Amino acid sequence: MLKRLESATPTPEVTITIDGVPYQVPSTLSVAAAVLLHQGVAGYRRHGAGGHRAPLCMMGVCHDCLITIDDAPNRQGCLVTVEQGMRVCRQLDDRGCEREGRDDADL
Amino acid sequence: MQTCEPRETDRTDGSHGRARVVVLGAGPAGMAAALRLAEAGVRALVLDQARAPGGQIYRQLDQPQLDAAVTGKDYQRGRSLVDDFMSAAKRGEIDYRPGTRVWWIEALDDAQNDAHRLGVRGHDGISRELTAGRLILATGAMERGWPFPGWQLPGVMQAGAAQILMKQGALVTDTPPVLAGNGPLLYLLAWQYLNAGCPPRLILDTTPNLGLARTLRHPLRAWRARGYLAKGARMLAALRRAGVPIVRGVQSLAAEGNPRLTEVRYRLRGERDEHRLKTDWLLTHMGVVPEPQLPRGLGIEHRWHETQQAFVPDRRDDLSVCPGVWLAGDGGGIGGALNAEREGRLAALALLAELAASAPGGTLDRPALVRESAALRRRRRRDLSGRRLLEALFTPPLDWVERQPDETLICRCEAVSRAQLKVALAAGPAGPNQLKAFTRCGMGPCQGRLCGTHVSRLMASEQGRDMDEVGYYRIRPPLTSITLGELAQAPSDHLTTQSQ
Amino acid sequence: MAHEVMIVGGGVVGMAVAYGLARRGRRVCVLDEHDTALKASRGNAGLVWVQGKGAGMPAYAAMSLASSRAWPGFASELGERTGVDLEFEQPGGVDLCLDDDEVRSRCAEYQALYDTPWAREAGVRWEYLEGERLERLLPGLGGDVPGGIWTPHDGHCNPLFLLRALYSACLALGVDVRAHHPVASIDPGEAGFVAHTSRGVVHAERLVLACGLGAARLAPPLGLCGRVTPVRGQVLVSERLPASGRLPTPQIRQTASGGYLIGDVLEHVGHDTRVTLDTLHALARRAVTIYPDLASARLVRSWAALRIMTPDGCPVYEASRRYPGAYNLSCHSGITLAAFHADELAAALSDDRLTERYPLFSGGRFDAQAA
Repeated sequence: MLKRLESATPTPEVTITIDGVPYQVPSTLSVAAAVLLHQGVAGYRRHGAGGHRAPLCMMGVCHDCLITIDDAPNRQGCLVTVEQGMRVCRQLDDRGCEREGRDDADL
Repeated sequence: MQTCEPRETDRTDGSHGRARVVVLGAGPAGMAAALRLAEAGVRALVLDQARAPGGQIYRQLDQPQLDAAVTGKDYQRGRSLVDDFMSAAKRGEIDYRPGTRVWWIEALDDAQNDAHRLGVRGHDGISRELTAGRLILATGAMERGWPFPGWQLPGVMQAGAAQILMKQGALVTDTPPVLAGNGPLLYLLAWQYLNAGCPPRLILDTTPNLGLARTLRHPLRAWRARGYLAKGARMLAALRRAGVPIVRGVQSLAAEGNPRLTEVRYRLRGERDEHRLKTDWLLTHMGVVPEPQLPRGLGIEHRWHETQQAFVPDRRDDLSVCPGVWLAGDGGGIGGALNAEREGRLAALALLAELAASAPGGTLDRPALVRESAALRRRRRRDLSGRRLLEALFTPPLDWVERQPDETLICRCEAVSRAQLKVALAAGPAGPNQLKAFTRCGMGPCQGRLCGTHVSRLMASEQGRDMDEVGYYRIRPPLTSITLGELAQAPSDHLTTQSQ
Repeated sequence: MAHEVMIVGGGVVGMAVAYGLARRGRRVCVLDEHDTALKASRGNAGLVWVQGKGAGMPAYAAMSLASSRAWPGFASELGERTGVDLEFEQPGGVDLCLDDDEVRSRCAEYQALYDTPWAREAGVRWEYLEGERLERLLPGLGGDVPGGIWTPHDGHCNPLFLLRALYSACLALGVDVRAHHPVASIDPGEAGFVAHTSRGVVHAERLVLACGLGAARLAPPLGLCGRVTPVRGQVLVSERLPASGRLPTPQIRQTASGGYLIGDVLEHVGHDTRVTLDTLHALARRAVTIYPDLASARLVRSWAALRIMTPDGCPVYEASRRYPGAYNLSCHSGITLAAFHADELAAALSDDRLTERYPLFSGGRFDAQAA
């Protein structure tokens, strides 16, 4: 898990749901940061090759933060800022991990 | 005043536009470029994927989450730049579009004024096409992917990610993290954690022992780098005083645990036995490298940079990379935030000089621009010369990837292991693209950004070729994510379909 | 050890022939180009496709059908040899007609092609389907697609895994595969042929050109047909989605790993291998017309590649009369024809009976047409 430092600047909060459970989070957080704050890294998402993954880079590179936001799967959680009422679902079932981008031919 | 008003005019369907000057990225380079253009009356369209300006380095300075005593002066230094940028944007001198991602970029063959086409996806999720006259790429750097067994485990995170979490929401790990790797950012993070009252458990330093010898060979550079070196020494002293153990000579590293990290293993140079350490968090760093997608997407030539251990775009003296395109900041080779700011201004000046040349008699004073550039360039050269010393000090362990055991994933996205690459390499593939086709290495959603250089390096050492000869993956659009539905909304010509 | 056969081209045509020759005990060498050379083998959509091929040349239609029928055995043998799963399936396929004009023209074309004695004898089956009957094969088909032509002969595979398996099998059989050997010129000599490459010369008794568009340059000096032109295709691939059971179509197919490949454009743009924004838009629009549920699917990547097109679109298989022992193979559809290339065609090459077995496929046919 992550913790927010007590010395943090007071910041307005928004309410989002993670897997249906409401949480108050600072409005400056990305979705990925909010999930790490309240759920930790274990079970952030399941990878198609088996095993769990959690964000590595938090800056849009690694794509290990893929998560469903307001019903749209495979959003990069580290690039989306939380908004009031946002519904976040972790991709832990087969369907979630099956949606990973892969292709079959390339030059 | 020269007619420098942007001619950004939305078509009736609202899906297209054009701009005379586009700056990609709102980090120090992009902000400085846009500000310098604005000063000359040129209103640039600035596209940036983040919610607020600052890039990675000056992230969240519009709403700082921590006191300057925690984050340090270097971070706070960006404050005035961010403020100036936002003020100029508010006054309408800069057309700033946060939350915008560029998924397509191309140079058009024929056009004079609209020489580039961009596909951008805005905050609203709608994709737009944009034609642009001149471009300044200020797309910055990313952390180098650093593979070792278990680096895909939850609980292993890059040091830059940990910094982003601190800046974004004053978030730190709930138990003391182990830090591992190499480079200034690793110690900066350790120091910031210390300032926040959360000293790291341990620092595992993998720096090969060549650095110091090289330093002493270049006294002038050492003098020019004295600022960096003194800063580093202060941080080290603080960490020592706080009793944070620093273990040097780390030769191998592995993370273990299921489903998340619980233990770190490492071996020291000259030792046979491994050390084991229970931990929930391993924060790693192996330096930063230019973010390759946009420059490569535009077809800009890259060259292998031995001391930076990265492919770096080919830039001319005025930072141009092809007609009408300049590349400023760490995206053109790592130089740090101050250098990025200078390069942003330099790129803007070069662009303005070109505008002045194409419209003589305007208000732009070409000789003045040239003088300003020359002064900036001198300062930049001096600063970068000191920087080269840092590069030498913090050269990543060169054979790290070659030394990885079979189980290490080189490509995280497609879970391609060192063992699979060994087999594929033994078959003598023509290059990284053939290897990618055969193994899927680099074919996942990160588009090879974490594995590309490693694959080139493995191939170079296996085949006895140099990095430039081996080359790199081809970049395939889209550069960032877009749905088929979004793509389908835009107009198109009739397709010729296959009938044979 | 001297090479008996030197193959110029390490694409799916050259490698299938190399595999076939090596299985027949020939000592084979393959000369391939650099990593970023034109590679249709790495840019195609992986269809093992019969329908619609061979208009005006029934022998080619029959060859495609025969190859598709040989594919199951070919795929399983190659898979067993190499451990590579080619992801081959042959569930039948549908050629979609996207407007009423296409329905008319396609049906007329298929009647001319298949309502013929050879096709009846060969057991070709096809049917124009629309409405519910079509939707049963393509669940979720968009309402704006008028219909399509179904045959049971079509299928698909993973073309990259096919190429990889061919490499792997060839290496195991002792084929000498050399990357970074672009061939500048070929000299016919006393005892065979000499290829001049950037890394020195390579000798062999016999020579097979399987070099795609390179035939335009290398074939004519050997008295072989070099009439090939590039036709660009562009392909989009989506993120992985749950298996849909939708039959493959030339316009769109779901791969074994779940992604949708969207393609089927013909562009005459010379050697330009760039992806274009306009075609990307058009292909995306077509994809969501065919399957509206794909609107929310993410595009993972796109690429373009050049097809190798002969004047009549049918393959050229020929032996040089001027320089015995030199052969030229020019065709697109290297995936569909892989089973045929690896077996029958390789046998004909091995026995030096190419002209005898495939007289209709000589490049001389274009001269006759012109005359």
